[in-house]
Amino acid sequence: MPKHIVSGLKYLESVELRKRGLSQKEISSQIGVDRSTISHYLNGRNISMDSIELAKTILELSPKDFILITKVLFGDYKEIRQIVTIFNMNHYDPQINDGCIGCGLCVDLCEMKAINLDSLKAKINPRYCCGCLMCVENCPTKSIEILEVKNG
Amino acid sequence: MVNVKEIEGKDFNIKRSAEEDRILSFKDHVCIGCGLCEATCPVEAIALDEVAPIERKYTETYFSGHEKIAQNYALFKNDNEVKAKLCIDESKCVLCGMCSGVCPAGALDLTIGGVSIKENEAYPTLIASAEIDEDKCLFCKKCEAACPRASITIDRTLPNRADLVTGEIEVCEDDCIYCGACAELCPAEAIVVDKTTGEESIVIDKEKCVYCLVCKKACPVNAIKAVCRSCSYGEYDLDPAKAAITGNAIIDKETCIKCGWCEGVCPADAATVKQAFKGTLEIDEEKCGTCGACIDVCPCNVLSFPKSSGPGDRGTHLVKEEDYCIHCGACAKACPNGALTVTRTDIDYTPTSSKSWIAAFEALKN
Amino acid sequence: MELKVDQDKCLGCGVCVIACPVNASISPENAGGHGSKTTETIMMVENGFIKLFSVDKCDKCGTCQMFCPTEAIWLE
Repeated sequence: MPKHIVSGLKYLESVELRKRGLSQKEISSQIGVDRSTISHYLNGRNISMDSIELAKTILELSPKDFILITKVLFGDYKEIRQIVTIFNMNHYDPQINDGCIGCGLCVDLCEMKAINLDSLKAKINPRYCCGCLMCVENCPTKSIEILEVKNG
Repeated sequence: MVNVKEIEGKDFNIKRSAEEDRILSFKDHVCIGCGLCEATCPVEAIALDEVAPIERKYTETYFSGHEKIAQNYALFKNDNEVKAKLCIDESKCVLCGMCSGVCPAGALDLTIGGVSIKENEAYPTLIASAEIDEDKCLFCKKCEAACPRASITIDRTLPNRADLVTGEIEVCEDDCIYCGACAELCPAEAIVVDKTTGEESIVIDKEKCVYCLVCKKACPVNAIKAVCRSCSYGEYDLDPAKAAITGNAIIDKETCIKCGWCEGVCPADAATVKQAFKGTLEIDEEKCGTCGACIDVCPCNVLSFPKSSGPGDRGTHLVKEEDYCIHCGACAKACPNGALTVTRTDIDYTPTSSKSWIAAFEALKN
Repeated sequence: MELKVDQDKCLGCGVCVIACPVNASISPENAGGHGSKTTETIMMVENGFIKLFSVDKCDKCGTCQMFCPTEAIWLE
């Protein structure tokens, strides 16, 4: 099952990148799927509709659930980052206040590896923040706030 | 993210594994029971045990002159029940390292990827130090004796006695009757006389002899010829290098509490100590119950009941040597009557950009 | 940690009662060896045995434990 769901997600990624004008070769190297499979995806061959439907549902999940599932499916944070950036799921403005004690728990928890410590204060890269709020929930000093950015 | 705790006797480590492992380690024999870690922890994961009864089981008390108490103390000392002074709940601890930052004794240390936060410039550290300048040190060992934590080791090499004296000595064995009086009188034990019939002998060790001439004066048959030339062997003839006392003065940085006793007793100003806290220690004698718990917990030998001039040998007037007090507050915590008040007015620490850490260090002032 | 007593070992000598600094601050006649006239003290000898009263006042200094000749009172 997981392999099919992954292929559903890869299909959706290919379609999206194609909309942006990337060539099959470019799509292939970006999402790590061989070119001929990309060609099948874009021509609607050898892909199960169930997989696609399931993949679409996954993209619509709440950020927390999305992260949990994609972590199980992919394991690798780079893959998760890719989906998040391709589908613009990173519309968040993370704020860290002076209560931050630099414990690094958020750094270790973040599945997107969006957080790092700079001079004892956490810094969240908005490019990769997907709003799952795991860091917020676990921060011992409640120093993190993740605001949603409405795309004008 | 699960923290793993490893316990070894009274010491423990808490570890969070990630790209860079964070390890918080605690060494019980270094801990002074001040409780500053407990007060600072942002997630209330730390619990300090009642340190007075623990210390009273394992340390000498001021009552040790009293025989019955000394016997009881011996009973307690054999107790194998191991009790650590500190407990940290690993399910709450986030390994921020604040406890290790404020610990005046260095009993707690946080390492990130194997490097202590004390070496990491981003983290503030208390500024306290104790150094002995070996160029000024006379290796008299007064600091070693005064150190309340047995943190100082002085190794010294004394000059050879033979290089500091000069003279001549000879026994005329034809005249010697091997009575052994010279050997018994020799203050340097430099003469050995063997009286075995048929194998009599006398040997004078010139490495030990100091040319005091006592043997010559005592010899009943004037068999010893000796002359001392040390007095004319003045400073012009003696090579100063031969008279030098050399050595090493080593402070165990792990247990040194930077109290300043070494600096206080050093006759050569070779020891320099800087304390991290400035403050005051007040004693309210009316509240003091003379139990002595404060004396047992104090890591710096600041408090005592000096012997009274009256009958009995237990004083009841609590006295402090505040110069050597590091203002840790362990005594105030141990006192059951609240007779001691410790106030910290100044905390010296390295700069940091973290506002929460600055707040934590400033909160040590009370 | 809390204060514990073992009545079987107790000799009723009262040294712990007199040595306890909290007892001394509550009841001066106690420190003088006359026995306290109040149950406000942490412990007292009653009918020849040690009995705990206001245990919550104990600040765990360990003095009673140090003085007791028979290990009949201690902190655990």
